[in-house]
Amino acid sequence: MTNFRTFILGLAASFGLPWLCLIVLPAMQYEQLTPVAYDKDKDGVEGYFPPAPVNGQGQLVYIREGCNQCHTQMIRPVQLGLDGWYKGWGQDQEARPAAPARPSVLRDYLGEKYALLGIQRVGPDLANFGWRAKDKAAIYQHLYSPRSVHDWSTMPAYTGLFKLQKIQGPVSEHAVKLPKKFAPPAGYEIVPTPEAERLAEYLLSLKKDYPVPGQSAAVAAAPAKK
Amino acid sequence: MQTTPATPDTDLQADNLRRAAIDKSVKGPVLFLFTNGAFWLMLSTVLGVLAAIKLVEPEFLGNCPYITYGRLQPAHINALVYGWGVQAALGVMLWVMARRSGQELKGGKSLLITAGVFWNITITFGIVAVLMGKSTSIEWLEMPKFVWPVLLACFLCYAWPIARMFGRAFRPEGFMVSTWYILGACFWFPWIFITANVALHCLPGLGAIGAGIDAWYIHAVILLFFVPVGVGAAYYFIPKITGQPIASAQLASAGFWSLAVLGGWTGMQKYMGGPLPAWMSSVGACAGVLLLIPVGLVGLNHHLTTIGKHSAVATSPTLRFIFFGALFYPVSGLVLALNSAFWTGANLQFTQSWYAFQTVSVYGFFSMCVFGAIYYIVPRLSGCEWLSVRLIRNHFWFSVYGIGTIVIMSLVAGWQQGADLNNPEHWDQTFMNHVINSRPYVVSRAVAWALISFSNCMFLLHLLLMVAGLGRRSSAPTLLEHDHDDHALPNEAHA
Repeated sequence: MTNFRTFILGLAASFGLPWLCLIVLPAMQYEQLTPVAYDKDKDGVEGYFPPAPVNGQGQLVYIREGCNQCHTQMIRPVQLGLDGWYKGWGQDQEARPAAPARPSVLRDYLGEKYALLGIQRVGPDLANFGWRAKDKAAIYQHLYSPRSVHDWSTMPAYTGLFKLQKIQGPVSEHAVKLPKKFAPPAGYEIVPTPEAERLAEYLLSLKKDYPVPGQSAAVAAAPAKK
Repeated sequence: MQTTPATPDTDLQADNLRRAAIDKSVKGPVLFLFTNGAFWLMLSTVLGVLAAIKLVEPEFLGNCPYITYGRLQPAHINALVYGWGVQAALGVMLWVMARRSGQELKGGKSLLITAGVFWNITITFGIVAVLMGKSTSIEWLEMPKFVWPVLLACFLCYAWPIARMFGRAFRPEGFMVSTWYILGACFWFPWIFITANVALHCLPGLGAIGAGIDAWYIHAVILLFFVPVGVGAAYYFIPKITGQPIASAQLASAGFWSLAVLGGWTGMQKYMGGPLPAWMSSVGACAGVLLLIPVGLVGLNHHLTTIGKHSAVATSPTLRFIFFGALFYPVSGLVLALNSAFWTGANLQFTQSWYAFQTVSVYGFFSMCVFGAIYYIVPRLSGCEWLSVRLIRNHFWFSVYGIGTIVIMSLVAGWQQGADLNNPEHWDQTFMNHVINSRPYVVSRAVAWALISFSNCMFLLHLLLMVAGLGRRSSAPTLLEHDHDDHALPNEAHA
């Protein structure tokens, strides 16, 4: 291997092949990907898949706080992991769902700059959190004081996303409702900042289990409960 | 690599003069990179302690938004990878390449120092930005966009002279395995780095493919940058200190090329069962397991080279660190294979075993080899010997036990987490069992990082004293055991 040029060519060829096949070509193909139309007869639904993009503004807060360090957004097929059966991880919120939530597919993340599939599962998966979340108030409570929801929780309290203010006039309708132990001092209320509102909207928009066009799984087309 | 043939005294003297001239030519940049790298290493381990504590007790130090786990963990990893890892690697690469190719660094020294200064300033800004809430949440690329072009430019300032040295070198023997690895690292890193940054920061958005590219980036940087530098250093120092030539040229060559061919394919198995096209994660999983081949070949070769010289492992600080670093190489290959193969990976996916892979490869393997290299290189550049045997010994034992603890605990924790997640008893429950079951492992991680950061403070201090020229004035190197003087170590002869 005395020849410098041959050596460099060897380095380039050995790495260039996976680079081309695994990165460049798939990225080019992905750029061509567009939403697909549902077939009314086969799928029983109208419109396009994926129907609604996630809330991008709120996603920026999710990204900034590094939520994906502990929360994934990816449901695996049942032969690999049992995510689909986990309570509340799909549209069906029952403790024993009738059918597993469907695994995530490429188009679920269409329109997202970077799919936040996640790094670890320190907390539960959020791919279909929009079905699980009761309302914004519940999300605010969980963000402001996770330990008021579960005393064992290791989620950080995002108090920076909320404001403690003196009650002037009637209590704000957005004020975070907390159990007595975690409540602010009398005469004060905790209200979400615009960032917290956007983050809550993003979390509510996480519904990545719309039926996939052409997949005749009866499960996928199960009627929405909300 | 071949050992120097027996030479008359005059030749030996000329040789020593040539070595001294080479050392002098790279002294400034190399020492700059090492000291700054050691500082980042200490900082990253401190951040590692904090992040681990925050993972167990999120209210530790109050609910300050700048130090939540979601911001601390990326700061910890980025400081480890870019502050310490790449920086220290560049120092080792520059020195080994200059020595091995017998070339002095001609000019451009001030450019190298400037690039080093810019590298450190940019990373400081980047990590502060992550803590202030400018993180991109792209793993290993969390620092904001402006950081990456500067880092690339600084890297290329170093890669160019290193590649030129390789090109200019006169190689009658033709076989220099350590420089292959180092040149490969020089060549691949910018390629990987540009690809990932263009794909993730410049293109309009690749969705789930972007996540796959990020996973590929992490594996490629580990396998085609950190691993080559670590293995290259091991191939350089093991024969040098044991005084035995590398056992087998065929093994060395096969180990190098199989790594080169397989390294770029792996990574996407991190999202196995996910939204990526199935063939991509399958290919990644295959490559992840097949990488046991280069790992085994290199491990075997190192083993054969050290046979019969194990007393040198006890005596020489350099060899001791590199020996254990080289032992961690097969371990990291094994952890990668466990994470990659579908039948174990499905259980270990999204658990702490991912952290185990990162720490065992970047810290257990790469950093241990680089510590060994630093213990050899710095005395030759600063003109004095390491002050304290005890400090070196502390550094060694704290590192070995600390990193061993973190890797084993993270792997077991990963197994536990996966088992909890797939346990039918837990399906209709909250996440309480997972959180409570993984707690003790994270506590042990915090304790281990705390011990490591203590030893890294000592290491930084020791290094700073050496750079300031306050080391021992002696012609004999600092050895860990003195009762083996009957057979003079070959590294004394090699200067």
